[in-house]
Amino acid sequence: MDSLANTVQQVFNEPACGKNLTKGDRERKKGCTQALQPGAAAGGCAFDGAKIALQPITDVAHLVHGPIACEGNSWDNRGAKSSGPLLYRTGFTTDINETDVVFGGEKRLFRAIKEILAKYDPPAVFVYQTCVTALIGDDIEALCKAASARFGKPIIPVNAPGFVGSKNLGNKLAGEALLEYVIGTEEPGYTTPYDINIIGEYNLAGELWQVKPLLAELGIRVLACISGDARYHEVASSHRARAAMMVCSKAMINVARKMEERYGIPFFEGSFYGVSDMSEALREIARLLVARDAPADLSARVEVLVAREEARAWARLEAYRPRLQGKRVLLITGGVKSWSVVAALQEIGIEIVGTSVKKSTKEDKERIKNIMGDEAHMIEDMTPREMYKLLKDARADIMLSGGRSQFVALKAKVPWLDINQERHHAYAGYDGMVALVAEIDKALYNPIWGQVRRPAPWDAEGVS
Amino acid sequence: MSQNADKVLDHFSLFRSQEYVDMFENKKAFENAVPVAELQSAVDWTKTREYRDLNFAREALVVNPAKACQPLGAVFAAVGFEGTLPFVHGSQGCVAYYRSHFSRHFKEPTSCVSSSMTEDAAVFGGLNNMIDGLANAYNLYKPKMIAVSTTCMAEVIGDDLNAFIKTAKEKGSVPAAFDVPFTHTPAFVGSHVTGYDNTMRSILEHFWDGKAGTEPPLVREPRDSINLIGGFDGYAVGNMREVKRLFSLMGVNYTMLGDNSDVWDTPTDGHFRMYDGGTKLEDAAAAVHAKATISMQEFCTLKTLAYAAKKGHEVAAFNHPIGVAATDRFLMEVARLSGRPIPEEITRERGRLVDAIADSSAHIHGKKFALYGDPDLTLGLTGFLLELGAEPVHILASNGTPDWEARVHALLDASPFGKGCHVYPGRDLWHMRSLLFTEPVDFLIGNTYGKFLERDTRTPLIRIGFPIFDRHHHHRYPLWGYQGAMNTLVKILDKVFDVTDADTMIPGKTDYSFDIIR
Repeated sequence: MDSLANTVQQVFNEPACGKNLTKGDRERKKGCTQALQPGAAAGGCAFDGAKIALQPITDVAHLVHGPIACEGNSWDNRGAKSSGPLLYRTGFTTDINETDVVFGGEKRLFRAIKEILAKYDPPAVFVYQTCVTALIGDDIEALCKAASARFGKPIIPVNAPGFVGSKNLGNKLAGEALLEYVIGTEEPGYTTPYDINIIGEYNLAGELWQVKPLLAELGIRVLACISGDARYHEVASSHRARAAMMVCSKAMINVARKMEERYGIPFFEGSFYGVSDMSEALREIARLLVARDAPADLSARVEVLVAREEARAWARLEAYRPRLQGKRVLLITGGVKSWSVVAALQEIGIEIVGTSVKKSTKEDKERIKNIMGDEAHMIEDMTPREMYKLLKDARADIMLSGGRSQFVALKAKVPWLDINQERHHAYAGYDGMVALVAEIDKALYNPIWGQVRRPAPWDAEGVS
Repeated sequence: MSQNADKVLDHFSLFRSQEYVDMFENKKAFENAVPVAELQSAVDWTKTREYRDLNFAREALVVNPAKACQPLGAVFAAVGFEGTLPFVHGSQGCVAYYRSHFSRHFKEPTSCVSSSMTEDAAVFGGLNNMIDGLANAYNLYKPKMIAVSTTCMAEVIGDDLNAFIKTAKEKGSVPAAFDVPFTHTPAFVGSHVTGYDNTMRSILEHFWDGKAGTEPPLVREPRDSINLIGGFDGYAVGNMREVKRLFSLMGVNYTMLGDNSDVWDTPTDGHFRMYDGGTKLEDAAAAVHAKATISMQEFCTLKTLAYAAKKGHEVAAFNHPIGVAATDRFLMEVARLSGRPIPEEITRERGRLVDAIADSSAHIHGKKFALYGDPDLTLGLTGFLLELGAEPVHILASNGTPDWEARVHALLDASPFGKGCHVYPGRDLWHMRSLLFTEPVDFLIGNTYGKFLERDTRTPLIRIGFPIFDRHHHHRYPLWGYQGAMNTLVKILDKVFDVTDADTMIPGKTDYSFDIIR
């Protein structure tokens, strides 16, 4: 068995994954991602998953080894923000041609790495494998090893060609690449008892920046965010953190779990979405740090901050209650964790008519059940047609989802709000929740929806 | 010298060369200028509420008016008729303005002559100028009709067009049966929209009421056709064609009264067309038999519509309709009057517009707008902005009447997005400047002159109106119909996104939000 197949198997056998634990051996071997149904619409591939998981590392060059398709269609398509370097937004690809397919693309890849180092001098180059170069047998792992030795710079192979599976698997394979080649390879300049990692947070629309000031106020240092607004050095030295928070559970659970195993960094799964979840996250971070010998007054300081911020957030949210009370929301979310948003929206009187649980864990589902009661409409995997019908039957006033479902909502004459990676507003933290509710309010009350729901007046009144 | 014959610098770069920069700096010593700080404090003072109050207390002075004079509208209306030469009785300087105004906006020549009155004519009356002028215009330019209007000069001395033209015909300037409709268009009354109205009415009156007493008035035999009048409209080329397309799709039997779409959009194919397109004169005459007359711009056609109503037409007036609801009302009325159903194709266009607005509404929702322009255009745009969830804050029309003001208020009151908006009839762009400083908005909608407001107040300008001199070819794209509303939506969105991009493109500083997906 080659190393890629091995890694994939390993990833499938994730002991920290609740869903995985309930499976039998054979089922587990088949993997946790459903085989895609040929002919049915599907999401992104493993390459895409790997790329989006790592691309937020801002100061490295992300080099895609493959034909123009992979990078040509996807470069700079995510709103992961950087507070400094912008190299991660430049598209690098080997753009292989027919001759390369016949004779192999390794030489071109090697030269591409050399050119990047000469022209940009990044702290590292991440090399992404794609379907075609994997099929013709280009060995990027060997090549990166050789290139690292030759140039004296970390050249990181990310071996997640599209055909190995889903986007989600790609996220995990990206995590494996970090664990294998990056994490633990450098040392931080100094450490403090307040150092944490945040894993699975991509700083979309600058969300991390709505959380970081709160942590800073408490004296907590984000040693590394994996991977939002990260620098290579931070990720490479992240093994010295005292605790970790895992934000998007399904994407990088392997990274959190293995870092706990290897470096003894305890982690918890939390969310920055929703007022109470934000507070819980802060408390939990403090709890883990204090358990590892951070000064005990940290927890008390957290409570002071939480009390102040919650009061402020609720005061601002209260203004929306009269306008949003009783509005019915359908949540079709990907990375944003359903249950925490559900709780937050319910707190201001919004009714949740259904929520997707496709990417939620078993515990997530339990939580949703607790919050929403038995009435919970948990939607495992909704086809656009079902989604359309649900919206069409006017059982929801608004849908919150990723961009791909936008058009289903619009054609069903229902307002829609983007809460996925292409969103332009940051919804994390206390301020983020207020921003989310403000956006819901705007979407619900935009006058076009009245127009959208009415037929053309000559149809309505039978004018001929 | 900075200038050299091998590479001549134009004004963009010449005066930025070091030599000139130094020269400008050095000569300041001799200019006895106010100190920079003092100058700046005066500039800052013009941005204050105190200054605004003084500004709005202005009684006599108008600064940067957003309106033009009656004869400009007269020329606009006249060139919409087949082979028609507008003839402005008065001084030739005025006419040169109309021609350049239209040519700069439509990028086409505009044929128009004047009677070139001079000092002696002002003293003794312009009769001779009329006699010679009509004869020369007729012989030189071979028009099918000459539409006469007046400048202030002729109005002040009280020239009697009716008598003058009669005399000119007696003297053989033009054949007795030649069509010479006329109207008085003093610039010290109303604005270009009034001139349009007067001229349109005068041309219809000419044909319908017996050509100034030379023929028996036409007797109306009601038919099923519909007359449509566009009004003074900088988008006439695109709008007229769009209306004709919609009417054809519906199968409506129609007559466009004053169709400027071809005369201001002639092809470059080796032929100079002094006149092109326009309403055929026999069609203009036959339009008296129509079932109804529709005006797309009520305030441009107050007298014309009243006249059509007097002739027994059903009349309907719109206010430069833009957007879903406004276009709905227009098409429903056309359907009602013509008895023709609205076809599926148009229903689909409507659906596409609704879809496009829904796709993009979040980017316009809650944005604050100031707008100025002609009464009908500002009404049409206000309706559309409210439909998009934008918040109009200042609406100004230099040629707005109290009636217009009431109409805008009615629109605003019907929408929660119209709260807190103020309406300013009879104000000018210097008033707008104070408004933009003291109550800032996100975007300004107006004509080319708005660029000075954009420069001073940094309010991004969306160019919709007349004239548009500094951007080309906007007049080719309709604002009317669902397609037109789509164009208007895109115009607004383009600016919204341009501003976002401009705001985020400083490398290493703001470009963390310089995104390819908006």
